[in-house]
Amino acid sequence: MEEVFIPALGMAMEEAYLEKWLKHPGDAVNAGDVIALIETDKAQVEVACETAGTVGKHRFEVGASVPVGETITVVLAPGESE
Amino acid sequence: MGTREEMLAMLRMMMMIRNFEETADKLTLRGKVSGGMHNSSGQEAVAVGVMSALAPDDVIATTHRSHHHTLAKGFSAREVMAELMTKATGVSKGRGASMHLGDVARGHFGGNGIVGAGMGIGMGAALGIKLAGDKKVAVGFVGDGGMNTGRTWEAVNMAAIWKLPLIVVVDNNQYAVETFIERVTAGGDLPKRASGFGLPASTIDGQNVLEVKDAVAKARDFALAGNGPTFLNAVTYRYYGHNVGEKGQYRTLEEIEDWRTNRDPIDQLAARLFADGLLDQATFDEMTASVEAEIKDAVEFAENSPNPDPADVMLNVDSGKLRG
Repeated sequence: MEEVFIPALGMAMEEAYLEKWLKHPGDAVNAGDVIALIETDKAQVEVACETAGTVGKHRFEVGASVPVGETITVVLAPGESE
Repeated sequence: MGTREEMLAMLRMMMMIRNFEETADKLTLRGKVSGGMHNSSGQEAVAVGVMSALAPDDVIATTHRSHHHTLAKGFSAREVMAELMTKATGVSKGRGASMHLGDVARGHFGGNGIVGAGMGIGMGAALGIKLAGDKKVAVGFVGDGGMNTGRTWEAVNMAAIWKLPLIVVVDNNQYAVETFIERVTAGGDLPKRASGFGLPASTIDGQNVLEVKDAVAKARDFALAGNGPTFLNAVTYRYYGHNVGEKGQYRTLEEIEDWRTNRDPIDQLAARLFADGLLDQATFDEMTASVEAEIKDAVEFAENSPNPDPADVMLNVDSGKLRG
């Protein structure tokens, strides 16, 4: 199971605004697929997954401010569950 | 060259640095590392080649990208990882984070965030060595970006005119943040620029740890004989961005892939040792496993270490002599 999280992209970054979900629970994804768009103080950033699998539950709604490092969803390998 | 044991030690140290950096990169993205973090993956041979040619009490002064220098100098993965997480058990007792690793007592005069400053500090260390009459040398590390800042050449000039035991090592990863060196370096030839100060200057393959070691060993002998400084431009490549989290796209994926596939310093040394019969698969697998265990242990140590005690906030700020 891969945790997809808000990456720390700058020295002073503490949280990000969750702008849009591009993949939804149950969607099949490949490594490198963009899962969500987030906004930092400086830029819009694509959050991608590193492994192929099935997207899990969305843990935050669009519009949420999410702390750096927080898991926003997971990518499940075949046979795995949350 | 060196003995089999020396070669295997160099290989293992490069593997340890690579694993440390890849692990620390992930921890940084996850928000567990304070401040800026500069990954040195790809540049291991410069650090390990230099340190393999130095004696334990020789001095180094380094740059913002200094994990590889610090680990190769003999600092433990535990204390460096703990410093990245600004823990009390870190190299700098949690005050410095990634960019301020150092311990004067162990011949490491620190990293810092000022472009080219490691060279000035290294030159000062070399002056101190000369004044004290010690039989040792100082290495000043500088990046390619530092080649176009004034203080670097002031330090080279002073080291040359006073024949100080300094080795200037350009840890030249070819990009100053996102600027390719050829776009900003007039004349294009760094050793030619340095040789204007009348010291030996050359470009070496920074991906070949043995070539780096040999060049530094010669420079060290030259300095110890009282002949003064040497300038070494070690051409290397960083596999990741300038800092962790950088999303820049100023290098092509093909360029990065070419350096990773065809010029990787760890692959090159391992291939050579396999070919020469000095390394077998079982030994290599054992090294890989022991490196993984060492870095896993370092992360656990760092995560379980305490933060600095707020009561010690004035520790190391001054000598304490002026306070009541």
